[in-house]
Amino acid sequence: MAAGPAPLGGHPRAQRPHLSKMERVVVSMQDPDQGVKMRSQRLLVTVIPHAVTGNDVVEWLIQKYCIAEDEALHLGTLLVQHGYLYPLRDPRRLLLRPDETPYRFQTPYFWMSTLWPAAELDYAIYLAKKNIRKQGALVDHEKVGYHHPSPATPAESSQRNPSPTSGAHSPGSRLIQMHKHTHPIEGVSEGRWGVHPPELGVGKSFPLETLNHPQAHYDQLHRKINHTWDLVVMQAREQLRAAKQRRKGDRLVIACQEQTYWLVNRPPPGVPSVLEQGPERGSCTARQVQMTKTVDFYKREIECCRKALGRTRVKSSVCLEAYLKFSSQRGPHDPLLSGCLPSNPWVTDNDTYWAMNAPSVAVPTKLRVEQWAFSFRELLEDPVGRAHFMDFLQTEFSAENLSFWEACEELRHGGQAQVPALVDAVYQQFLAPGAARWVNIDSRTMERTLEGLGRPHRHVLDDAQLHIYMLMKKDSYPRFLKSDLYKDLLAEAVVPLEMKRRVFPFMWKPRHSSPSLALLPTSTSGEPEAAAGSPGDGDGET
Amino acid sequence: MAKEECKALLDALNKATACYHHLVLTIGGSADSQNLREELQKTRQKAQELAVAIRARLTPPLRDRGLGAEERAEFERLWVAFSGCLELLEADMRRALALGTEFPLHAPRRPLVRTGVEGGASGVAARALSARSLRHEAERDFDVEDLHQLEREILKVGEMIQDMEMKVNVPRWTVQARQTAGAELLSSASAGVSSVGGVSVQQRTGPCDLSKALAATIFSAVLLAAVALAVCVAKLS
Repeated sequence: MAAGPAPLGGHPRAQRPHLSKMERVVVSMQDPDQGVKMRSQRLLVTVIPHAVTGNDVVEWLIQKYCIAEDEALHLGTLLVQHGYLYPLRDPRRLLLRPDETPYRFQTPYFWMSTLWPAAELDYAIYLAKKNIRKQGALVDHEKVGYHHPSPATPAESSQRNPSPTSGAHSPGSRLIQMHKHTHPIEGVSEGRWGVHPPELGVGKSFPLETLNHPQAHYDQLHRKINHTWDLVVMQAREQLRAAKQRRKGDRLVIACQEQTYWLVNRPPPGVPSVLEQGPERGSCTARQVQMTKTVDFYKREIECCRKALGRTRVKSSVCLEAYLKFSSQRGPHDPLLSGCLPSNPWVTDNDTYWAMNAPSVAVPTKLRVEQWAFSFRELLEDPVGRAHFMDFLQTEFSAENLSFWEACEELRHGGQAQVPALVDAVYQQFLAPGAARWVNIDSRTMERTLEGLGRPHRHVLDDAQLHIYMLMKKDSYPRFLKSDLYKDLLAEAVVPLEMKRRVFPFMWKPRHSSPSLALLPTSTSGEPEAAAGSPGDGDGET
Repeated sequence: MAKEECKALLDALNKATACYHHLVLTIGGSADSQNLREELQKTRQKAQELAVAIRARLTPPLRDRGLGAEERAEFERLWVAFSGCLELLEADMRRALALGTEFPLHAPRRPLVRTGVEGGASGVAARALSARSLRHEAERDFDVEDLHQLEREILKVGEMIQDMEMKVNVPRWTVQARQTAGAELLSSASAGVSSVGGVSVQQRTGPCDLSKALAATIFSAVLLAAVALAVCVAKLS
């Protein structure tokens, strides 16, 4: 609210979809014929209609959406937690009970989609109202040692305090009577409640948990939006006076509604907030409703649709298949899922694993060599793989492709000052007609590159690099995988043995390696299981 | 004196904004009706008139460079309260528009949310307009045209706020508010006492028990007195 006027003509952002779904559910519950059965709530004298029991809600959900009871209960609880439904008896426990506990629907004004994010000014006004209603009871729970004079007049406070049940209460009222003061409304700048935070906040005189959290919020707010405190006080008083013009039943209901809204939006400490969302989602301002569709509105719509058409879309079936393939391929290679051999260094303090998988190691492990077969990118990213690929290309007399590619990478990621010199060197070595290591690029790309060489920047060779990359990927890479060189590498690759479990009763740390699923007979990676003792044997030496 | 006038107008605007807020709370609920929409319109129009009047009165002193520091501080305080009030009003108007479009009164397939609030709010609107009571004289399709008009008014108020920001430069954070924390409790004689008992009923059974206990003690005291009298009478006769 007080965050300032939303920009007029700004593009309306889509609100969070789960909220609109919940709202649709709530609205369909209101149907007079097919909605939920309504009952009346009977308080002492007043009768307030439109109460529903938890049971009714669950049954209606089961019947309308043909879902199981668990799911209906979960859905109902979501509705309650987001504040669309509130319990009448125990307003602080926001969950749906499938029995006779009564609930009521929240007014659309306080729905999450209309009034989000909750503004500090509103919260301040709400707390001020609560303060007035409860005559300073926000500070009821503070422990005694702290002298905080309450400005409430003694007569009212003693009248409003419920019968002193807790010991902390009567000293509190005594304190109130001691400070019998009638101040003028304004002009008390050193303010009882104004100056406190270092002493009050994390009390040395009392433990933190006795501090009622609305009080802490109240003080915080007072500090934060001090400049609008006049407005807060004025509005709080006026809103209460306006509320008095209504019937008692309506007043109760409206107060309940507001309380629920703030319970959801400013949950007490320890209660998880349903509003938490990941960092990438932006905030949703209230939807900009436009009644008159101006030309601008339609222009924006057209632009939006055009952009949407241009976006590439992948079918979810394709996506999912790729994902499944990825998972099944990578599963045995994942150290967390399939265990790492010889042992997890974090568990056993034995870092052979890292030594064996170092970036440049003489003999790569078998898993590593197999990973080169997954994609060309894997091969190029692994220094050992790249070296072997270079060897292979040299036997095929096409090593200049890889050298060119490497030079382009260096250009792209290198320093800005070296760019012109590097471009020149690359041109001389690879692209000039009659160069020593001339690469085969198609004419169009070559033309474009040569044009760009006039004004060199780090991305000027990108097209050529891509072309060579695709060439290597389609041509040399499959041949590499079928070549003898690769097969030899596979054969020579090392498979580390799992470290034996040693059950030595006098050792400090039981050194057991992480359970390696790769050694179970059902594994598909074909590791030899004979050499390693099976994890079940606790007998130490084989 | 200009300041007192401004203060009085600001109080009236504050009252109108609070009443408007209170009325907007019930849009889309079970208390929504043609009458409510009409009351909303009247309240917000009154609020806008007041806003224009205050703005006309507050702008000259603030643009006057030769004003004393204390006077200026006073006017700045009023200005901050005024602009805050106006922003609250505008936000409420926007929400009223959103809710009004979502819950049209005469659409058959879109029932109103049954929130348990019934009964009219004409008292609230009358309070905002400082009138004794309110007459409802709207035609049938009032709410649809009203929404169009509401949209126009929102744009107007938005422009007014923008204009205010441009013309008068009052840095908010430098303004010291007069009221301290807890100041609302001080003059709460009229607001607090009577409404407390009613409002807190649903939460705790404490107050209920208190009133019940009170009634019970009074009753038993009366009963005892009656029994004592009867015994005395029986003894004496």
